[in-house]
Amino acid sequence: MSNRTVSQRPNGQNQGKICQFKLVLLGESAVGKSSLVLRFVKGQFHEFQESTIGAAFLTQTVCLDDTTVKFEIWDTAGQERYHSLAPMYYRGAQAAIVVYDITNQDTFGRAKTWVKELQRQASPNIVIALAGNKTDLANKRSVEYEEASQYAEENALLFMETSAKTAMNVNDIFLAIAKKLPKNDGNVGNGLTSPGSRRLGDADGGSRMSSGCCK
Amino acid sequence: MRVINTRFNLKYDNVDEYGFMRPENFDYERYEKFMSSYLVILVNRSKKWDKLMKKGKRLQRGLVLKRYVKKGIPSSYRAQVWMKISGANELQIHQESDLYNTRLNSVLDSDVVQAIRTDLPRTFPDNIYFIPLEGSQEQLYRILFAYAADNKNVGYCQGLNYIAGLLLLVTKDEEISFWLLKVLVDNILPDYYSRKMTGLMIDIEVFARLTKSKMPDLYRHVKSLNIPWSLLIMKWFVCLYAEVFPTETVLRIWDCLFYEHSPILFKVGITLINYFRKTLLGCDNFTSFIEVFKKMPLDIFVLDCHYFMKRVNSENKSITNALLQKLRKEIKSEKKNYELNQLP
Repeated sequence: MSNRTVSQRPNGQNQGKICQFKLVLLGESAVGKSSLVLRFVKGQFHEFQESTIGAAFLTQTVCLDDTTVKFEIWDTAGQERYHSLAPMYYRGAQAAIVVYDITNQDTFGRAKTWVKELQRQASPNIVIALAGNKTDLANKRSVEYEEASQYAEENALLFMETSAKTAMNVNDIFLAIAKKLPKNDGNVGNGLTSPGSRRLGDADGGSRMSSGCCK
Repeated sequence: MRVINTRFNLKYDNVDEYGFMRPENFDYERYEKFMSSYLVILVNRSKKWDKLMKKGKRLQRGLVLKRYVKKGIPSSYRAQVWMKISGANELQIHQESDLYNTRLNSVLDSDVVQAIRTDLPRTFPDNIYFIPLEGSQEQLYRILFAYAADNKNVGYCQGLNYIAGLLLLVTKDEEISFWLLKVLVDNILPDYYSRKMTGLMIDIEVFARLTKSKMPDLYRHVKSLNIPWSLLIMKWFVCLYAEVFPTETVLRIWDCLFYEHSPILFKVGITLINYFRKTLLGCDNFTSFIEVFKKMPLDIFVLDCHYFMKRVNSENKSITNALLQKLRKEIKSEKKNYELNQLP
């Protein structure tokens, strides 16, 4: 349903500006992080998506009016013991999607922990979206929409319930993030990455937002 | 290796001998060319192993056995030879009798059980032996359960599912798979899968340093692109190249791994990166570098496992257990209060 709102792969025909953003996906194991990415990037869904080891990196481009937004997506492993790697991936990220499974209350609790960690340790201007995934399994729902929605509001998060399986709200959530990200001159680039645009080791994410992600 | 989900519509040639779907865009022509010469090698190796196995069956460590292992263990002997050269046989003899069944009957934390259960349908979903109701999933569950019960410090770590799964496909025996998994995690690899994964993170740093000394230009390039080494190679080390390389190549690597331990993991990675060094150096941004890097394991260079392993073993003789120990020690002492996120 949402495919039409996103035009993918502009092939350089777009005359407007190009912005590049680093986005990280976090959340408990098996909530559907990789499935959301696969749906967004390739339009595919696998019933049994292989577990992600360490992290995976993919890119996808969306068009917003006259701006092309290129997402550099870092899809992380969900298992607790890979948690300590996460800072390496969210450091310097301009956006994060924290994912939980609407059929599993524990994963919602874990999502809240991720949000807290991001608020404390990620770049202060990071745009955080909360995704309640697996709405196709609504008959097994254990996290109410209102509960998550209220939590998101209190924490100033974007919030959507999604389904990687049916594609519901998948493109929309990325698009909503793209809309919220600052597309000032500092973020405009030629689509090529300069080394300075992505300083993973740089803890000072906030000032970089204003100095720009693409030069 | 999966690219598309077509497991209900299989033709024999879409699937390798261990039940894995061949990747999309698989180069059948070049593969057949390789196989026509590799089959001759396999027959030849098989005859030699027949003689060796008849002779002593004790498989004495030494130059002969080492050479034989490097050239590949025939699939019919793999389970047996892996058990011997890895020390798993010894381990089994010195443990209480029927450890496997004892562990199967132990009580395990429900979180661990759940984590294993969650990963079962996500392990090799396109392998014809792992489709639900085929039995392999339950066998895999038992292996992972028994191991988690045996080593509570490790419990279950994602990645072990792929290793145990491939062991099961090769040995076709749950208990042997358990023992091989145990010897790998307990004895061969240094603390890769415990809660903090410290040994793994140290080995990733060791790998980065070896790259620095062998390919300084590439090391600098990776640094200038701000790419963390863990993003590049973590899966290689966690899965011991399973779920990364073509199956036969992985098994050839594991032949060496069970015999000589860690060095082979480093040799393989360094050889592969070195082969693509110029292409990688030509990638002037983060994204293009990663794209090339991700495609390397699917190149015909890796698929031609015999030639690949020849290069791996001849190019990196300096990477020895002693060298690795030295580097690990250095890194440990440099970063005493080690936190994972301080690592590359």
